Amino acid sequence: MNVLAGISVTSSALSAQKTRVDIVAQNIANAQTTRGPDGQPYQRRVISFEAEMQKMTSADREVQAPKIRDIGVDRSPGQRVFDPQHPDAAADGYVTMPNVNMAYEMVDLMTASRAYEANLSVIKNSRQMAEKAIDIGK
Amino acid sequence: MLAGTDVAKTGGMIEPVFKSDNYLLARRLLDASVARQEAIASNIANVETPGYKRLDVAADFASKLQAKLRVNGGDANLDEVKLQVVEDSSARAVRADGNSVELERELLEMNRNSVEYNFLTELVSRNIKQMRMAISGRSL
Repeated sequence: MNVLAGISVTSSALSAQKTRVDIVAQNIANAQTTRGPDGQPYQRRVISFEAEMQKMTSADREVQAPKIRDIGVDRSPGQRVFDPQHPDAAADGYVTMPNVNMAYEMVDLMTASRAYEANLSVIKNSRQMAEKAIDIGK
Repeated sequence: MLAGTDVAKTGGMIEPVFKSDNYLLARRLLDASVARQEAIASNIANVETPGYKRLDVAADFASKLQAKLRVNGGDANLDEVKLQVVEDSSARAVRADGNSVELERELLEMNRNSVEYNFLTELVSRNIKQMRMAISGRSL
C-alpha cells in the first residue's frame, strides 16, 4: 500500500524525463564536437521509452509506467561544411559536423521539462492529499 | 447529498453518527478520489506514450453508490459497490500518435479532485469530531 497515490508511476516518469533532459544536454554540449573518441564526429543520441506494468494500489487494475528502454544513436549524416583550415577537415576541405539540430534539441528540452513539472505537481498534490488524510479527526 | 438518517430508525446511540448517508458516502467517495488521483498520475506520466488512453474512475460509480444507499438506507454495505478504473472512452485522441491525454485537462482534473478530497476528509473529520463531542460533552 502506497501512502501517496500513484507515486510509483510518477517517479518512473520523472526519472525517464530527467534522463531525457540529460541526453538533450549531452547533444547540445557536443553540437560542435567533430572528433569523438572513435575519431568520428559526435552523433546525436536519441532516447526510447518502454512501458512497464505496475499494479494500482487503489483499484484492481494495472497501469503503464514509462521507462527508458534504450539510448540509441541517430545515424543520419551530419552537415558537411567547407572549412579547409579546420584540423578535422578531410582532404577535400570539408568538415563533417555532428548531426545535432539545435531546434530539435530545444523543443525536446522544453517538452521534457514541461512533462517533468507536470509530474512534480502530481507528487505535490498526492502529498497534500496524504496530509489531509492524516488530519482526519483532528 | 442525501439527508441524514433519523435516530429513531436506526435505534442505537453511536450508530447514527457513523451510519449517516453522508458519512457512508464520503467514506466510499474518498476511495474513489484516491483512485482518481492515481489514474491522473498515470495519465500525466504517460502523456507521451503512443496509443495510451486516459484512465478515470468509472463514471457511474457515484450514481451506483447513491442507488444502493437509496435502496438499503443506513444498512447499505457500500463496500460492495466495486470501484473500477477504466479507459475513458469519451476522451478523443486529438494527436497523431493515438494518445488521448491532454496535459491541461489532467492538471485541472487533478486540482478539482484534490478540492473534492479535501471536502470529503473534512466531512469525515466532522463526523468523528461530532462523535467525540457527544462523548466528552464539550466541543474541542
